[in-house]
Amino acid sequence: MAGRRVLITGVGSHVGAGLAARLEADPGYEYVGGVDTRTPQLALSRTELIDVDLRDPALVRLLPATQVDTVVHNQIVRRPGPGMSPRAMHEINVIGTLQLLAACERAPTIRTIVIRGSAGIYGAEPHAPQFFGERMTGEVPPRTRFQRDVAEIETTFDSYARRHPEVTCTMLRYQPAIGPSLDTQVTRYLSLPTCPTYLGFDPRLQFVHERDAVDALAAVVARPVRGTVNVAARGTIGLTRMIRLAGRQRLPIAAPLFSTAVTGLRRAGAFELSEDFQRLLRYGRAVDITRLTEEVGFTPRHSTLSAVEEWARQRSGPRPLRPLVAAIAPGGGGGR
Amino acid sequence: MSDAAGGRGGGSAADGPARGARSTAGSSGAGGPARGARATAGGGRSSGEDRGRPDYVGAISFLRRFRRGLDAGLDLPDAFARGAVELPHDARASLAALLRRLDGEYAEDDWGFDEELADLAEPFFEFLYDRWWRVQAVGAARVPAHGRALLVANHAGILPWDATMIGVALLREHPLPRHPRFLVLDWAFDLPFVSIAMRKLGGVMASPDNARALLEQDHLVAVFPEGVKGTGKDWSERYRLQRFGRGGFVEVALRTGAPIVPVAVVGSEEIYPKLGELRPLAKLLGAPYFPVTPTFPWLGPLGMVPLPSKWRIEFCEPIDTSRYGPEAADDRALVLELSARVRDTIQQTVYDNLVARGGAFLP
Repeated sequence: MAGRRVLITGVGSHVGAGLAARLEADPGYEYVGGVDTRTPQLALSRTELIDVDLRDPALVRLLPATQVDTVVHNQIVRRPGPGMSPRAMHEINVIGTLQLLAACERAPTIRTIVIRGSAGIYGAEPHAPQFFGERMTGEVPPRTRFQRDVAEIETTFDSYARRHPEVTCTMLRYQPAIGPSLDTQVTRYLSLPTCPTYLGFDPRLQFVHERDAVDALAAVVARPVRGTVNVAARGTIGLTRMIRLAGRQRLPIAAPLFSTAVTGLRRAGAFELSEDFQRLLRYGRAVDITRLTEEVGFTPRHSTLSAVEEWARQRSGPRPLRPLVAAIAPGGGGGR
Repeated sequence: MSDAAGGRGGGSAADGPARGARSTAGSSGAGGPARGARATAGGGRSSGEDRGRPDYVGAISFLRRFRRGLDAGLDLPDAFARGAVELPHDARASLAALLRRLDGEYAEDDWGFDEELADLAEPFFEFLYDRWWRVQAVGAARVPAHGRALLVANHAGILPWDATMIGVALLREHPLPRHPRFLVLDWAFDLPFVSIAMRKLGGVMASPDNARALLEQDHLVAVFPEGVKGTGKDWSERYRLQRFGRGGFVEVALRTGAPIVPVAVVGSEEIYPKLGELRPLAKLLGAPYFPVTPTFPWLGPLGMVPLPSKWRIEFCEPIDTSRYGPEAADDRALVLELSARVRDTIQQTVYDNLVARGGAFLP
């Protein structure tokens, strides 16, 4: 029996490269292709790299030629950054997905499509459920550009899934990833000398550990399920606690001044926080992962707390209070 | 070392009269077993509540020794530890706990509830419970000691003080106390500081999904089906229960098989006698209402001090919902019937307790 043939977009990213490496090592996968204009961060042996931009119409020719049965769409840009304007981000996310699905229409061999989307579609709201289930979208109108983009990607994918009942379509809603080898909005935020927070707000946040992010994707490729699945670590962590664990200081800013202050800091070249991330810092978000653990059969190894702790151990500054606690705790051995 | 011991001894001596006063006040409050519990609780918390002179002296000598340690070229932690020898045991423990929290070493559960902080806040709520409102709680033992249960209470008094007092009543009077979770109006989670306090003390945004998830995790959940209609009603409407929403709480209880415990609270209506409201201001602030009471907004923040009315809280006999089965949640007639039954029970119990309480303010 021939092995599976998989094509991964965004293979230049950490998760994309990680997945390619995982599939390469598995003899059950006969062919692994990677689409990206960037070079992967890991050394890949037998992955065929296809240097094409998702927005390039050439994809419509290239994709069917690979004869793949599974497409993993991993190129969803989550943050505007240096060299990535919001407009470019929108184009890659929405037009890129549109183009990729159009190419899939021309490839009759396809049986599975997995998109690594974002839990950003739920937004961050004061009246949000404490744990979003997969059904709970569209209760509020989308507020940010990224949220609208993700919603559009899901709508496009939905209509594709309806027209192609023979293809198993899985939409994964990822919470932000955190990990020592990642450069994401969260890790950048925690690397700031002082972290701006909303005065009087301490939201619950939820992440996914970088290794779990790759493992979950591999688990879904191995055992695809129809519909949407949330991907996140178990549990939540308060923003204040996270900043303290990372050995950073908070810089509380009153809510009406927050976006002005952040814009000012961006102009000064200090850092950039996306609109979505700002809302996350105010209201937080957590999702329910029952579907991931029960239907996909994947249980994340790290909880949100342990993922943050691991990051803090490897990357954060010293925690000045720790020796003091040990010194004065009664019966803690300190003192005389 | 000997200094530290002396400080502690002095502390307990200074405690004497204060503790005596507390048990006198207690005798006018709740019954016997509760009083016993209170005396022990007071004894353990000497440094937190009665910050007398010895602690203060301890703090000074702590700083002095700390500075001398630094002058002698010790490291910061060592100097700190040397100074801490001067502190009484309790003060050292609280300082260590404070530093530990500032270091990020504290626990919050998945819902954001911070049990340690809730325990730290308890003396304040206990003061309100014992002295300010002189709460008498009846039937706390009827609340299931473990497993899921839904407390359904009447709601009054502009700010949700009644929720906190139900919590204290359970912690104090129940043989197996546990912290209940409260369903809170979403508006609170958009307010600075209030949102943190609510979350850390066990508040959860009120929605059927959240209620269901909490009950499925076998929590004790308190709901106020009257919602804003209850807290925002006029003085003339006091103790008249408002409509119980659409019976959503019964649906959740049926679906999860959680028993419903009706709770009647008397006294919360008098804490802020609402005479009227300023609609335009409420609209401007996005608040459900902007109340006018004899003291608010005239006295500013001082107007938010609740009046010291006398309270009674009665926990009624639980209503078993598991015998209907989870499918019964779709039976609208049953849901509305149960909702009306709970409402009638609470209304009747409120009237009974109003009579039992006597005067609203005087003992």
